[in-house]
Amino acid sequence: MMLMFNVEKFVKEETGRLRQKINEKAIIACSGGVDSTVAAALAKEALGKNLVAVFVDTGFMRKGEPDSVRRMLEKIGLNLRFVKAEDEFFEVLKGVTEPEEKRKIIGEKFIRIFERIAGQEKAKYLIQGTIAPDWIESGGGVRDKIKSHHNVGGLPEKIGLEIVEPLRDLYKDEVRKVAKFLNIEVHERQPFPGPGLAVRVIGELTKENVEIAREANAIMDEEMEKAFAEKKVSKPWQYFAALLPVKSVGVHGDLRNYGYMIALRAVESIDGMSASYSKIPHEVLDRISVRITNVLGKKVNHVVYDITNKPPGTIEFE
Amino acid sequence: MKIFVVDNGSQWTHREWRVLRDLGVETRIIANDTPLDEIRDADGIVLSGGAARIGWESAKLGNIGEYIDKGNFPILGICVGHQFMAMHYGGSAGPADTPEFGKMEVEIHKPSPLFKGLPKKFTAWESHNDEIKNLPKEFEVLASSPTCKIQAIHHRMKPLFGLQFHPEVEDCEYGEEIFRNFIEICRDFTAKKK
Repeated sequence: MMLMFNVEKFVKEETGRLRQKINEKAIIACSGGVDSTVAAALAKEALGKNLVAVFVDTGFMRKGEPDSVRRMLEKIGLNLRFVKAEDEFFEVLKGVTEPEEKRKIIGEKFIRIFERIAGQEKAKYLIQGTIAPDWIESGGGVRDKIKSHHNVGGLPEKIGLEIVEPLRDLYKDEVRKVAKFLNIEVHERQPFPGPGLAVRVIGELTKENVEIAREANAIMDEEMEKAFAEKKVSKPWQYFAALLPVKSVGVHGDLRNYGYMIALRAVESIDGMSASYSKIPHEVLDRISVRITNVLGKKVNHVVYDITNKPPGTIEFE
Repeated sequence: MKIFVVDNGSQWTHREWRVLRDLGVETRIIANDTPLDEIRDADGIVLSGGAARIGWESAKLGNIGEYIDKGNFPILGICVGHQFMAMHYGGSAGPADTPEFGKMEVEIHKPSPLFKGLPKKFTAWESHNDEIKNLPKEFEVLASSPTCKIQAIHHRMKPLFGLQFHPEVEDCEYGEEIFRNFIEICRDFTAKKK
């Protein structure tokens, strides 16, 4: 389907609505992903100096991400608060393996941090880059819960802030159009879930496991970028690597090895609500696999490629 | 042109709204227990799918029976909406012999204004655990897939249409055309009313 979404009208109406609703200080939760960055740019248009962007380094960000996100957000001209919370997150997630529990703990932790910052900034509003799939998949009312997105289904019951969600009715493709219209560089970025690598490590989150997932994602990113440049593959809608809590036997230099498994996933989609797996050439998959198993040595000895569509699968594993 | 989307809790209710909006129709998502009086001025309605296992949870479908009986407008039932329509006329629905998820080839057997301009076979997108088991005599089957015989139905006399698959999903081929055709059906119906 190639239907029209009127970006100009959306931006005009939504900034108007934000101006009308908020006439004092507000904070915006900004991960540096497409959704929250677009929400931040819109809110800045509407609120100017009354807006404070909050970036939380959860410890689940991709390689080099905290620095690159900081640079990007500052370039947009946002007044930025940078919160280092890695230890706080690992602490509350200790021993947790169930994905819904994980998402809820992360959702609550985020909110408590935002309340803290809002208190310091004397802000009453929390703006979020929630988009349609977040609240649809989080369920409620007549709708079944598929997964609790941390910014909707993962929110605690009591929150000391009023939540405002200017992108609530949009899907990723529409958000990208708004990004382009507002001329922010984020529009090319890969979708990356708010809980970050926490949902790309299946099972318990240890610093070691998160580091494995981080490295595997970095390798996949680099190899994919190389393959795009060589025109060996067109850019999927989303691609990533996840650490599976499955151990298997390998043989490394005549020695037995017992290590984890990495699953690679790449999908084609428009809006994230349905997707088909990408037909990545074997040559490219091979390069990723060889590098992951070599760089991660004893930690990983099998790499698999996920060939499931959505439905029946979802895009991220948790 | 006003077409409402009746929400039965589908993951794709909001997509139906989006496609209609993008096709230039005035549209709104409404709860399925909205009183009929509030939607009498609609030119048509779409009944969304939903997670409810229809056989034993049909009470969740609110006032939809009344919309079907007394609403003077065309209706497009999708998934659970499609199954409910058949049940409402005395047919039955229940767990599918083969639940279908994702890609599935659908073949059209009978012409219908809903399928105007479509090829005989196309790739649809599915997501269902249940299906229509017995179709009431007021309806006829328009299309099927290898694993689900009743993929599309229409009422022989009234502008009531049902689809087991999901034309609102990006990955579904000819979804936009099906919605355009439904809008045309609604437009013609309203014109004849006047």
